Amino acid sequence: MSRQASGLRAWALQRISAVYLGLYIIYFLGVLLICPPDTYEAWKAFVGDPWGSMAMLLFFSSLLLHAWVGVRDVLIDYVHPMMIRVTLLTVFGIGLIGSSFSIAKAIFLAGLQS
Amino acid sequence: MKFIVFRYNPDLDATPRMQEYDVEVTRGMMLRDALLEIKRQDESFSFRHSCGEGVCGSDGLNVNGTNLLGCITRVSDLKEPVKVRPLPGRPVIRDLVVDMSQFYQQYRAVEPYLIRRDPLPEQEILQSPEERDKLDGLYECIMCGCCSTSCPSFWWNPDKFHGPQALLQSWRFLADSRDQATDERLDALEGPYKLFRCHTIMNCVDVCPKHLNPTKAIGKIKELMLERAI
Ligand code: SF4
Ligand code: SF4
Ligand code: FES
Repeated sequence: MSRQASGLRAWALQRISAVYLGLYIIYFLGVLLICPPDTYEAWKAFVGDPWGSMAMLLFFSSLLLHAWVGVRDVLIDYVHPMMIRVTLLTVFGIGLIGSSFSIAKAIFLAGLQS
Repeated sequence: MKFIVFRYNPDLDATPRMQEYDVEVTRGMMLRDALLEIKRQDESFSFRHSCGEGVCGSDGLNVNGTNLLGCITRVSDLKEPVKVRPLPGRPVIRDLVVDMSQFYQQYRAVEPYLIRRDPLPEQEILQSPEERDKLDGLYECIMCGCCSTSCPSFWWNPDKFHGPQALLQSWRFLADSRDQATDERLDALEGPYKLFRCHTIMNCVDVCPKHLNPTKAIGKIKELMLERAI
């Protein structure tokens, strides 16, 4: 990410991901209310459905991106010593990337098994 | 009426203290009048003021936790005891007098003047009434600093974040049909600090004594940037 782009791009990313998060949460709550998957098998089918898994992957990508921009904002605001800031950014970055792998694995496995 | 006033003289005092004063309230008394009365009681007390009618922007203060102009604030509208402090986040020079250098530096950084590429015409550069209307709510800023010194983002990064006052003025020139430096102005605002430290907390809008809306101006800058980026 170029130094120049990191203002507008991060801001736009934050807005766009927020919109998708909102929409998906409404959709997901709708599913839970109207036809909640009630067994393990039903959940697996729900997560494994090609369209469903795409939407869910996109949801978690948005969540992680949104979290990344948020964490970065907080650290830029409050943590001024460069070394500490870079260290914290790295820790959160690795955490978020790790989470994304584990989420992707869960969704793909559900897709393969259903 | 009881006033509790922030007192600090860096040359003499190790730490700031809050001092109590009793002021007899007269009809129509403004906070600035009360401070002048305190000054009569205690000559060592200092604060800034000049016009006395909300025009010069020199008596921005923090009163009972809110930034305001002393000269246009009725004492009778304030809750007793009235706690008067300097504008938050700025280095104190003495008592209520603070160092606003960083605030002015941020103002200077947005190049608050018209930039023309075309040769200047013989006479004035004409504007339609609609083009002129776009400057309403922007040009009225008196630079009192109430907004920027109430902005948490400005507290944390006063050296890098322009703050609401400077950004309002940045938009004032971006919105001006006579200005020809739109792209340069937008490019200069890129990066995570100058513009994008604003998190739409809107403290600035709450306190502006001229009822201006820096948050809205900041939103317009972001919109224009996005428009130009795609
Ligand atoms: S925008 Fe309002 S609060 Fe801010 S400096 Fe201008 S007049 Fe003062
Ligand atoms: S809206 Fe932006 S500029 Fe205004 S107080 Fe909040 S962070 Fe500061
Ligand atoms: S004294 Fe000039 S604005 Fe208050």
